[in-house]
Amino acid sequence: MSNPTNDLPQATEHRLEELEKGLFTSDLSVNEFLLIKEVGFHPVGFVMGSSIYHTGIQTRKWGQSQELTKLTEAMYNARELAMTRMEEEAAELGADGVVGVRLDVNYYEWGKDAAEFIAVGTAVKAEDGVSRLNQLGKPFTSDLSGQDFWTLSQTGYAPQGLVMGTCVYHIAHRGIGQTLGTTGQNVELPNFTQALYEARELAMTRMQDEATRLGASGIVGVRLEEKSHQWGSHTIEFLAIGTAVTKTSDVVTLVKPTTIISLDN
Amino acid sequence: MSDHNSASKFNMKDEVRRALGSLEKVVANSGSMTSDLSIDEELNLHSIGWEPVELVSGISLFSIPYGNWNWGQGEIEAASFAHAQAFHNAIARMHQEAARSGGHGVVGVHIERSIYSTHVEISLVGTAVRPVGASTIPVNGVFVSDLSARDFTMLMVAGWEPLGLATGASFVFAPRRTMGAVIQQQSQNVELANFTEAMYSAREAAMERMQQAALEMHGTGVVDVKVQEGPMHFASHAVGFVALGTVVRLAKPVHQMIHPVTVVSLNDRLIAFDVQSLS
Repeated sequence: MSNPTNDLPQATEHRLEELEKGLFTSDLSVNEFLLIKEVGFHPVGFVMGSSIYHTGIQTRKWGQSQELTKLTEAMYNARELAMTRMEEEAAELGADGVVGVRLDVNYYEWGKDAAEFIAVGTAVKAEDGVSRLNQLGKPFTSDLSGQDFWTLSQTGYAPQGLVMGTCVYHIAHRGIGQTLGTTGQNVELPNFTQALYEARELAMTRMQDEATRLGASGIVGVRLEEKSHQWGSHTIEFLAIGTAVTKTSDVVTLVKPTTIISLDN
Repeated sequence: MSDHNSASKFNMKDEVRRALGSLEKVVANSGSMTSDLSIDEELNLHSIGWEPVELVSGISLFSIPYGNWNWGQGEIEAASFAHAQAFHNAIARMHQEAARSGGHGVVGVHIERSIYSTHVEISLVGTAVRPVGASTIPVNGVFVSDLSARDFTMLMVAGWEPLGLATGASFVFAPRRTMGAVIQQQSQNVELANFTEAMYSAREAAMERMQQAALEMHGTGVVDVKVQEGPMHFASHAVGFVALGTVVRLAKPVHQMIHPVTVVSLNDRLIAFDVQSLS
């Protein structure tokens, strides 16, 4: 990571050079490989980016619901580092995009707040030689599987980028008085409800903002993940993640699915 | 299900008999035949004119000299070497077994891989296959692949052929942070550059070795690459990265399109009664 013009280490450059000689590597299954070929793409290489990141500390007020901006920033920053490094590898290979992207967070024993953020996927290139780079001139990224990628392309849409929004939120504890007051009653807990709502909204909005920046007309395959990581039960990360898509062709003849009854139940 | 009460009800049985009939023919030829393939996979293989021959295995244990995991810098070469050798030996034994039984390749190889501080253990079990009625001597050598018989069939249909398993492994020390750095970084959002670099170096070395192996087999691609990474369970400051996949090459002049058909299954989701959800 010493080379200032390109963030990638020397060994990576060497590995990628080897890939340019005509060998491809890919974590796609055989099914996915065949479907990617079917759409007119050829895999060019298994690409990855990773960052081991130390998240800072932010004090939380016991009875107050609030976003923990420092932690949100850390989650964003670390994922961006991993994603950017993966995209750089893809760009180096002259790829048009990366499919089957997986984003993971692994915790190791190196320290309580240190985690590895990793992004892996298979870089692909269009076989007709027409560039499929996204609006920002970068390879598109997508967490769709080979099967989903094929199906999406049948509908005349193309992926633009993997978009995400995150929000680390601290949800206030209830006071003793409140807890006692609601004992034995059927009652909504407005402070919890409101806090969860707000955190989800923040994450979703941020994801949509990213999609807008890519000029996307929609986001497919959105997943909303809620994780406490290592922060205790009242601090939760809300992560919204999906693939931003745009329409590429207006005339699409959708294939009518055949109905089947499978006998191997 | 016993024979006498089901024979009249299921037409399916004739289909199964037909498939099993071909098995019996092999038994007559070679004297013995075992396979861990399911009937479905067996039919799949026959659809492209291949047949199973024999269940084959390859096992190797390779020692890592004592003391390699304790303190150090850079790559733990003894461990990376042991991993490569154990794989090499296990695959070589599988080749021998497959060749002896007249197989041209081994599919559905189940890989068991354990790394201990003292040794690496690799065990491979798979089914040797060959084109129906082919000579017992393979033309291009024996291939070994962890692709299922189904995946193998799909690959062949699309005009590709597997050439072998390519693996790469690297084990690297993750440098410890100094006490001062730990305290200083306590409250900050910061990337831990030394850990990131250690991970990168293990990853690059492993991927590079896998690619090298693929190039030596004259492959044009590696599919279904599986990677495993993380600290070793017996030495948390050492990280390992292992990559393995099946090397492939286009056998026909051009890639054959498969033209998938979309289907909607009309089966309802099977709702099972779950006793545990009651408690």
